[in-house]
Amino acid sequence: MTNGEKNRLKDSIFKYIGVFACSIGLILLAIFIGNIIYDGFNRIDWSFLTSLPSRKAEKAGILTAWSGSLWIVIFTFIIAVPIGISAGVYLEEYNRKNKLTRLLEINISNLAGVPSIIYGLLGLEIFVRLSNLGSSVLAGSFTLALLILPIIIVATREALKAVPSSIRAASFGLGATKWQTTWYQVLPAASGGILTGVILAISRAVGETAPLIVVGALAYVPFTPKGPMDEFTVLPIQIFNWVSRPQHEFAINAAAAIIILLAITFTMNGIAVYFRNKWQKKINW
Amino acid sequence: MKYKLEAKNIDVFYGKLKALNNINIGITENAVTGLIGPSGCGKSTFLRLFNRMNDYIDSFKLNGDIYIDNTNIYDKSVLVDELRKNVGMVFQKPNPFPKSIFDNVAYGLKIQGINDKAFIKTRVKDALKQAALWEEVKDDLGKSALALSGGQQQRVCIARALAVEPSIILMDEPTSALDPIATAKVEKLILTLKEKYTIIIVTHNMQQAGRISDYTAFFYMGDLIEFDKTDTIFTNPKMERTENYITGRFG
Amino acid sequence: MNTIEKEISNLKSSLLKMFFLVEGQWEKGANAIINYDQDIAEEISSSENRINAQELKIDNDCENIIALHAPVAVDLRFILSTYKINHALEHIADIAESIAKYVSDYNIAYDKKIVDEIRLTEMLDVFNTMMDCLIEAFENEDPSIARRVFKKDKLINKINTDAHQIIINNIDKYDKNMLLYLLSSIRKIERAGDSLKKIGEEIIYHLEAKVIKHSKK
Repeated sequence: MTNGEKNRLKDSIFKYIGVFACSIGLILLAIFIGNIIYDGFNRIDWSFLTSLPSRKAEKAGILTAWSGSLWIVIFTFIIAVPIGISAGVYLEEYNRKNKLTRLLEINISNLAGVPSIIYGLLGLEIFVRLSNLGSSVLAGSFTLALLILPIIIVATREALKAVPSSIRAASFGLGATKWQTTWYQVLPAASGGILTGVILAISRAVGETAPLIVVGALAYVPFTPKGPMDEFTVLPIQIFNWVSRPQHEFAINAAAAIIILLAITFTMNGIAVYFRNKWQKKINW
Repeated sequence: MKYKLEAKNIDVFYGKLKALNNINIGITENAVTGLIGPSGCGKSTFLRLFNRMNDYIDSFKLNGDIYIDNTNIYDKSVLVDELRKNVGMVFQKPNPFPKSIFDNVAYGLKIQGINDKAFIKTRVKDALKQAALWEEVKDDLGKSALALSGGQQQRVCIARALAVEPSIILMDEPTSALDPIATAKVEKLILTLKEKYTIIIVTHNMQQAGRISDYTAFFYMGDLIEFDKTDTIFTNPKMERTENYITGRFG
Repeated sequence: MNTIEKEISNLKSSLLKMFFLVEGQWEKGANAIINYDQDIAEEISSSENRINAQELKIDNDCENIIALHAPVAVDLRFILSTYKINHALEHIADIAESIAKYVSDYNIAYDKKIVDEIRLTEMLDVFNTMMDCLIEAFENEDPSIARRVFKKDKLINKINTDAHQIIINNIDKYDKNMLLYLLSSIRKIERAGDSLKKIGEEIIYHLEAKVIKHSKK
């Protein structure tokens, strides 16, 4: 066999390995989703969405779970987004490069990789106990905000980095201050990227279970939260709770809730992708 | 003779690297002064001293004084944003903001806090006319500036600088990204602008320096080798280095 | 060597060739006058074609270099001076041809005595040394050698003025026709000397960028 033939053979072998590697993930996901839909799709109806949880599987609904999730997401968003974007802007636009800031940057990147249970423990200590928030929506939101802050900061910085420095130079050259340049030029130009990062971070928050269990989200809440200080549950916890019951009907309930949860995260990811594409098309530096 | 701009004993350092070495130069009002020299010779650094664009570079350090209309612009009492309203800048690559043509040109006024719509409209129109772009874009001022051709974009950038009514315009290789026709338009524009403005232009194109500048300064390795009337530089330079550079015998 | 340097060195060799061709014409012309050689006069006429062709080639090269390479500074001065030197040389070659033509027109050898009295031979010698100086100055890019021609040109002018008086004084002693041919020749050589002086000025302009035309040297 000549070298050329060897190389071509290697090439096609690698291609098949690649196809195989890709399909494993896809096939497993498809089986999983198919299975869930088969189990739970028929269970979804209006009363499933609007009923309180119940000991009887056929009467149980996810009202408290999704409204809890909604509360959590809204507060997490309110807490994490301004802080995250501000921190990203500071690090990227204002910060002068020195050892301290480099340390800061490395730590923020590392934080993005810390297991979520650790954040849960941190939240339990700081928000639930020290700040006396109890096992409230607010404590949960703070904890999740902490969890997704690094993601938002990193995404913001990447989006800002992608804005060509010539835009900043043009703005400074006209006598704009740093704030004016950032506010009028850099942030709008980076908004697509930032938005994408924010949505991805929020969809991660929607799916988190572990830190919320640690801060004390309840498995069984017979009411929807009326304010930020109320106790709460969220969809993933409700699912976990149902799955751990022996009765088959609850498993069906869990499947139905999973479909709802998946639908929410997929939608949010879809929105993120849509904005990213729209933005890329619009700006051609 | 009184100069519009004057640089006295300028040394510039980037960290330990000396980028400019004892530069002294006087720049005449209402004339085009060209800065030429090989890449990395310090000419862009020098240009950016006049609107303090180097201030953003962390390791930048300046010794010496720069005077505009006899005011030392590196004095503590000088506000950088005020300075830049007087000293406009046009960059190498056309860099319009990703906004409409109108918003691009109006931006300099907007950041000054001017809200008078009629006033802004007049200024934008005047600036676009001065930049010889009005006729081409007057019907779609709302169009994104990024949709224009490269030459038009560069003229938007020039109009943007003119709208705040500076007295000095710095140009950093303004035509290096343009085709010959767009280049010719921008050059023609520069010649008309010098009646009202003092222009300093960095260029890599010898012929361009010859065509549009009244005075030419040749920089090499951070030194100002020669500064004279352009025709003298191009027919009879005093220094051998200048001659080698302009005739293309470098390196 | 970059592209324009190559073009310029080619142009320099072309002009040097022109110099040699013209110098050759003058050596033959001197020979024709001094030794009354009609064949040489014929030869000069035929070489004239080569000189004209060379002149056109150099013109063309100058044009191309200006159009394609946009020369500046020393290069520009070289092209401009070459362009002018080229035309001056062609003019000088024409003069060589016409004084040789006088020899064949008169059809009798010039009288040796009067030729000596008006210092025609000396004049031709001086002219040839001027030519040598210019070729050397041009080839070695040495303006000091080019400067030597100015003094020699003054000598040629002096011989020319003196010759007028001598010919008037001798107007009845010799064949008037011959005297007129000689006078014409001398005046033409004087004119050619002026052209050589101009070439010297151009060489200095090229090398030193000094315009010494129309000024006192």
